[in-house]
This record gives sequence, C-alpha cells and structure tokens, in this order.
Amino acid sequence: MTMPAPALPEASAAPGGRPPDAGSVGRSPGRLTWMRFRRDRTGVLSAFVVLFFFVVALAAPLISMAYGNDPYTQYGQEREGLLNEFGYPLLPNGGISGEFWFGLEPGLGRDVFMLLVYGIRTSLLIAAAATLLTTLIGVVVGLVAGYVGGRTDYLIGRGIDILLSFPSTLFFIAFMPVVESLFVSPREETPVWLRTVSLITVLTLFGWATIARLLRGQVLSLREREFVEAARITGASPARIIFKELLPNLWTPIIIQSTLLLPAFVTAEAGLSFLGVGIIEPTPDWGRLIQRGAEVYRDDITFLLFPGVSLVIFVLAFNLLGDSVRDALDPKTRR
Amino acid sequence: MRYPRKRAVTAVATLVAGALALSACAQGGGGGPKTTNAAPTRTQDAQAASKVKVGTAEDSKGPAAAEPGATKGGTVNMIDRDDFTHLDPARIWLNYYMTASKLFTRQLTEYKLAQDGSLTLVGDLATDAGTTEDGGKTWKFTLKDNIKWQDGSPITTADIKHSFERIYADFTPEGPPYAEEWLLPEGKKYKGPYDGEHLDTVEAVDDKTIVFHLNSPHPDFNFTVAMTGYGAVPKKHDTKEKYDKMPFSSGPYKIVSHVTDKSMDLERNEHWDPATDAIRNAYPDKWHMEFGVQALQSTDRFIADNGADKQTLTFHNPVATERIQQVVGDPELMKRTVQGLTPFTTFYNINNSRVKDVKVRQALISAFPMQQVRQLQGGELGIGKFASTIISPTVLGHEPFDLYGQQTKPQGDPEKAKKLLAEAGQPNPTIVYAYNQTPTQEKVTVAIKTGLEKAGFKVVTKPLNPATYYDAIGKLDNPYDVYWSGWATDWPTGSTAITLTYDGRKIAAQQPNYSHFNDPDVNAAIDKASAIVDPAEAGKAWAALDKMIMEKAPIIPEFYQSYFGLYGSGLGGVKFHPVTGEQYPNDVYVKQ
Repeated sequence: MTMPAPALPEASAAPGGRPPDAGSVGRSPGRLTWMRFRRDRTGVLSAFVVLFFFVVALAAPLISMAYGNDPYTQYGQEREGLLNEFGYPLLPNGGISGEFWFGLEPGLGRDVFMLLVYGIRTSLLIAAAATLLTTLIGVVVGLVAGYVGGRTDYLIGRGIDILLSFPSTLFFIAFMPVVESLFVSPREETPVWLRTVSLITVLTLFGWATIARLLRGQVLSLREREFVEAARITGASPARIIFKELLPNLWTPIIIQSTLLLPAFVTAEAGLSFLGVGIIEPTPDWGRLIQRGAEVYRDDITFLLFPGVSLVIFVLAFNLLGDSVRDALDPKTRR
Repeated sequence: MRYPRKRAVTAVATLVAGALALSACAQGGGGGPKTTNAAPTRTQDAQAASKVKVGTAEDSKGPAAAEPGATKGGTVNMIDRDDFTHLDPARIWLNYYMTASKLFTRQLTEYKLAQDGSLTLVGDLATDAGTTEDGGKTWKFTLKDNIKWQDGSPITTADIKHSFERIYADFTPEGPPYAEEWLLPEGKKYKGPYDGEHLDTVEAVDDKTIVFHLNSPHPDFNFTVAMTGYGAVPKKHDTKEKYDKMPFSSGPYKIVSHVTDKSMDLERNEHWDPATDAIRNAYPDKWHMEFGVQALQSTDRFIADNGADKQTLTFHNPVATERIQQVVGDPELMKRTVQGLTPFTTFYNINNSRVKDVKVRQALISAFPMQQVRQLQGGELGIGKFASTIISPTVLGHEPFDLYGQQTKPQGDPEKAKKLLAEAGQPNPTIVYAYNQTPTQEKVTVAIKTGLEKAGFKVVTKPLNPATYYDAIGKLDNPYDVYWSGWATDWPTGSTAITLTYDGRKIAAQQPNYSHFNDPDVNAAIDKASAIVDPAEAGKAWAALDKMIMEKAPIIPEFYQSYFGLYGSGLGGVKFHPVTGEQYPNDVYVKQ
C-alpha cells in the first residue's frame, strides 16, 4: 500500500527559535522543554507506553525464556487436543489457557503471545530503522537544498519529484526478485537479514523525499531572516549556519514528520509482507498477524483482538507522544 | 485436464480500526467442535465417477429426465472468480470453461447425470455412444435428426468433420492433445482445414454418418469425444480466432453479451429442440454471469442470501476455508451445499532428474506431514481425502494401496524416513522446496519444512510468483527438488491419469510430466495397457501400473480433491458433476 501523505505541520517556531524565558531563573531551553513535557500527563503516559513497546521488542528472547514457549514451535500440531479438525483452537476464546496466555494461532497452532512479542520486534526494528534513516537523509538533503539554493536546489528538487511520483510498492515488488537473483543462489533460501535490509533500504529510499521537500520550504523562508544574515555577516561557516542556526528552528516539523512516519512504516511493512515481498513466514510479523486475524475473525475473534488492540495502542501512543513533544518544544502552538 | 493454479487468497488488508469495529459485532471467538457430526447427505464415494457406464441408443433419446419439482422460467445468476478466457471448444481444457460450455456447446457424446449421482455416457449429437467393431481403431457415430445451430440450419457431419480438423490449426494450441495425436496419419503434417487440405481419417460418409480412423486402438475414444474440446463448430460460421469470443450455439442457450472479466449473458436458443437432447433440461430462460468474485466474497453472499443472490450459484468457487466451520455448523446452510470427490488429485512432484536415489524419494513420502498440510487448507471437506495412489478413486479400476503409510500415518513418520535415509547413505540431504507464494501456501510451507526437518532433511524453501508458478517449475533444468502440482483424468479411465504424466518419452519443457520420471519398464507397460480393449481388464492394468510407478516414488501423493460449494436458496436442481468436479448447470431451476 502507499504511505499516506504526511500532513503539513503547523507553522514553524518563532524567529530566533528561542522560547521566551519563563520566570526570572535562568534556565536552558532544553530544561524548559523538559519541564513543560513533564507537566503534560498524556505525553508522559504515552512516553511510557511507547517505551514499554520498545522494551518488549528488545527483550523478546528474555520474555520467551521466562514464559517457556517460543514463536516457532507448532504446539497445536505437535500435541493432540489443542486444535479441532478445521484448525481452530478447541478451548474457548482462541485457546487461551495458563500455558498459552493469548491463545493459539488457528492452523499452525503457534503461541499467539510469542508471535506478537516477536512480531512487534520485527516490525518495530524495521520501522524504527527506516524512520531514523529517512529523517536523517531527509533533514540533511532538505537543509542543503534550501540553504544552498540555485542549481543544487534545482537538481535535488527534480530528484525529489521523480521519487515522489514513483509507485514505491510496485517498485518493491519488482525489486525484490532482482535482489534475490543477484545475491541468493536458486538453491538457497533468501536470508532474513537480506529481506530486512532491502525493506529498510526501499522504505528509506522512498520516504526521505517528503521530509526533505518540507524542510526545504521551511529553510527557504528562514534563511532570509535577520538572525541568519547576522550569522553570515559575523563570518559563520555554512555548516554552522545550517546546523546551529537553522536546525534548531526545524525540530517541530521534523518530530511531527517522524512520529507520523513510524506507524506509517509499520503498516507499509505489513502490506509488503502480505504481498509476499516483505518479511515472510516463518519470521513472526505484526502486520501479518493482523491480516491473518482479519481472515479468521468470524471463527476466532481473539486472534485478531490481541495484535489489533496492541497496534491501536501503539500508534495512538506514538502520535500523542509526538504531539506532546511538539507542544513542549514550541509552547506557542499549544491549544 | 489441467489444474488451475492454487487459488490465491487475496483477502483485502483490513485497516485495524475497521477490523476491530467489525469484530465487535461478530459472534464470540474460538472454541468449536472437535469433530463434526454433520454427516453429508450424499457420501463422496457414492458420487465417484467410477460408477460410469456406457449407455444405449435408448438412453441417448431426448428429452432429458425431468427434475422433480422443477419449473420453467426465470433467470439464474452465476458468480465466480474468473472470466472464461476461452469459449472456442478447440481451446478448452479446463473444467471451469467446460461447465459453462455445457449450456451452448454439444459434442458427439456427453455424460448423463442421474438423480443418484451415477453417470451414463450417452450420445449427445450422436444417436448413441458410438460403435466400434475392431477393438477401438475405427469408430462410427450417427447424428440425430432435428439437431440445429442457433440460426436454424442443421448440424451435419461436414460440421463435425470441420470441428475435428480445426483442432490442428495454429490458433488452437490450448485444447486436449488426444484426438490431435490419434487422428494424424503416420508421418503426415497437418495445419487445419483453412487452406483446403482435409484429413481422410475423419470420414463423413453421408449427412448423418461419420467414421473416425484412429492410428492406434483406443477403446475409450467415445469418452474422449465427450470432452468439450471436441465440441461442434459450424463450418459456415467459423470465425477462427474470433470464434473464441462468440461461439455459435448448438445447445439450449446462446450468448447475447460478453464483457471481458465482468459479465456474460445467455438467452434461450429457440432452435434447440429438447426432444433431441437426453442431457440438458434448460429450465431457466436466462443466465446472468458475473466475474471477479473471490471465494470468500461469494461464500459470504450465499450465507447472507439476499435479493438476487437467492437465485445465484457459482460454478467453481468453493466455500472459503475460513467459513467451512461456520457452514458445517449450520444445518440450514448445509441444505444448500453440494459436495463430492472431483477427478483431481494433487501431489508434490519430486524432481527425478535431481533426486536420483529412490530411497531418498521414499523417505520424502514417509516424512511428509500431510495431516498438518490438510488442516491448514480446510480439512477433508475443504480440500479432500489423503491420497496414496496416482489414480484417483473416481477412475474405473482404481485399487487402493498404501505403500508408504500415508493413510495410516498422515502426520508423517520421521523414524521410518530416517531409516530410509540411513540406507541411502545420506542422513541429511538438502531439499529445495519451491512453492506458490500465497498466504495459505506460506503457512503450508512452514508445516512441510517442520515435518521434513524432523526426519533429518535440510529444507530450503523458495517462494515463486503465483502468476508464473507453472512456467518456473515447467523448465526442464529448474533448480528445485520438490514442487506441487495437480492433475485430473479427462475421462474416468486410467489412461489419462498416467500417460501424459509418467511416460518418460513425453518429458519436455512445460509438459505435465513435472517430475521428469522416466523408467523403461513403465513406458513399456503404458503401451501395453493402452491397447487393452476390455474396460475392466484395462482398469486392472492401469491399477497395476499405478502401483509399479509408486514403488519408484516419483511423486508424493497429496489429496484426492473434494469439492464443497454453496448456492442460493432460490434455486433447485443444483448438483455436483463428478467429471468436471464443479457445480452442474443443466438441471438448475428457479424455485417459484
């Protein structure tokens, strides 16, 4: 599926980028931001939720050890009396029991709790890596294009045009077999790391253009301001102007963009996996769990419930967190 | 006949929020009966086509036996996944196209489906099921009186001769290969009747009598000509390539419109005389067909049973795997189902040109986790019975045997496989399993990999694009060791189950012999079995051949496929047809 076009962020920070001093005690802007953030209860709660998801993802093997099951063993197939003849769990509520906390997967009979934990790990790893890279490349390219202008801006601009008009999903479907035939012998399995790296590469390749275009526009309006001119007159190098004068004013759009990107990448990755070019079985995947859930929900609603609810919570918390951070950085836009 | 690619499950990715909203109103999840006691009203065995018999001239006389309680009139709707890519009889070798053709194409012979599900081969355009006096080398058919094309002109032997000659033309490569091979005189090249050259082997003696001179004895040639692939095409209205879009009707309906991939509409052909037709009842006035409906969608529409969907059936779409449990658990829905054993068998080809050691091949069969594979695809109702032979129970003379314990230990026997691998001296052979990449097959692959690894195999899985799956495995030098395919007999005798798929002399690229099995003894035995005239004797010979081939383990038999379908509550006379393995259109009527 295509990624939804990110919405334009609200107007950027005040000239100078320095939030007005609060009170008479001298506090650094960072400290002020932190104080404002801590006062925002929704923000703090969301931060904990997001943190929790990342901890779960990172600690998946430890959880598996403590819990006693793993995401690959087909419990329902190995043991009699767990699944019926159609492959659905025999116990009510999707086969929830003391041994299988979130029940069993219909068909193969794997442990849903473990599938979810490991699926979150896969999806978050890919989405987080792609978001980081996208933001990094987008910020650098956007800043350079906007600040340097002229020919450079023109070339980068046309490059971005091409990328934005490119059907990324189609590209990936065509790209993956080429990568496989280049790097994998026909009698070997495609390694999971190759799939992961390709996914991250392609998501990044088509993701950075939007963020770069956005920042270029912001920089264009900022670079004519007095504080930039002042810096230039005092003999600051372009690098210093870009990273010390311009960048601090751009945190708001950057943070909003990347908090929107991360959940979008999680869903994009799920979509590709569904089309058979992303992460495939037996590697657990969050998005694929939900897709499978949507197929069997009439007979086993529980199987859709856990991955679905956890994804809703995660996306919601991540977006709220982004809002709160933005508010904390820039109190003027506070509602 | 060719097997359609495994149906790709293309459920639309549902947005999380939407899915959750839906789930709130769905019935409580999980839990279910361990086994279902909903005994099918007709057992699948009773419907097996092996009960087929050859009818007499009396059986071939029209009109067709009336369906109890049937009334004339109304419109029947048909929804299915695909459009009919081919309608020209000479280009049809797929059961789905054959089912549609039953409404507007007639052949020399055809199967009559009785109320109890038994089949009789009777004359369709011919007065009887054909006669031969020299053990199947020369076949004589006599045409009925009053048989007409949709423009009212009579169907003559010149038309029939033309229909058989045009199968040699360049534009009809898709049809069945049998008559094309058997009617060609030794050493002759023939390119169809269009440049004035004709075949002497198809002899139109007079307006009513046609004689076929085959180049070798084929005692079941009267079954061959029952295939839609040998349906009648009018000499006067043969539009060559264009005929595929708009065939000229000889049956009870004619095509009034056909929008590719969208819809097709049929209306009565007033020149069709029911008194000449022993098979077709043709109760409804019109047929309206719509394409592009996936199995899950059509199942949900039949379950909902709203509006015009009440008068709707599907030819091929089965009950979606995800809904089988629901349908089986609802006696009201079970009343509207058709089920039966199709002529299709499915199997995993072992690439015999790569896996040369017979012990390794036998170990593969022993270790294969068939039960897990079946459970993932809908169990016995959804996909079929465990197979352990090449010839399916629907074939005349089928003899059950189980060389590798596939019936007794369907979950796989890793211990036995380990022993075989040890005897072969390769305890951990690497097996590349190539599969059709659909969500269901991905899961099936996980089960296969787990099962084979228990026996010590090192399994490499290779996903293949569903659109080019058969092309990829059809290459002679393909790098894979195991890959799935399916096959069905074209008529219910053993010859078409074995000749095209296990005759080593027929190995070629993109041919059905995907396992590249070539054994001189088997090749000789095939020739011997093909020449046996007596059907019962021939059946025994084919069954013996089946066992002889399976001892060499060229394939891993998977399922004798079953069909399980639903239809709307406003229709009657919807039946399962054992030869096509689909819903049967000729006795359908709209309930008044």
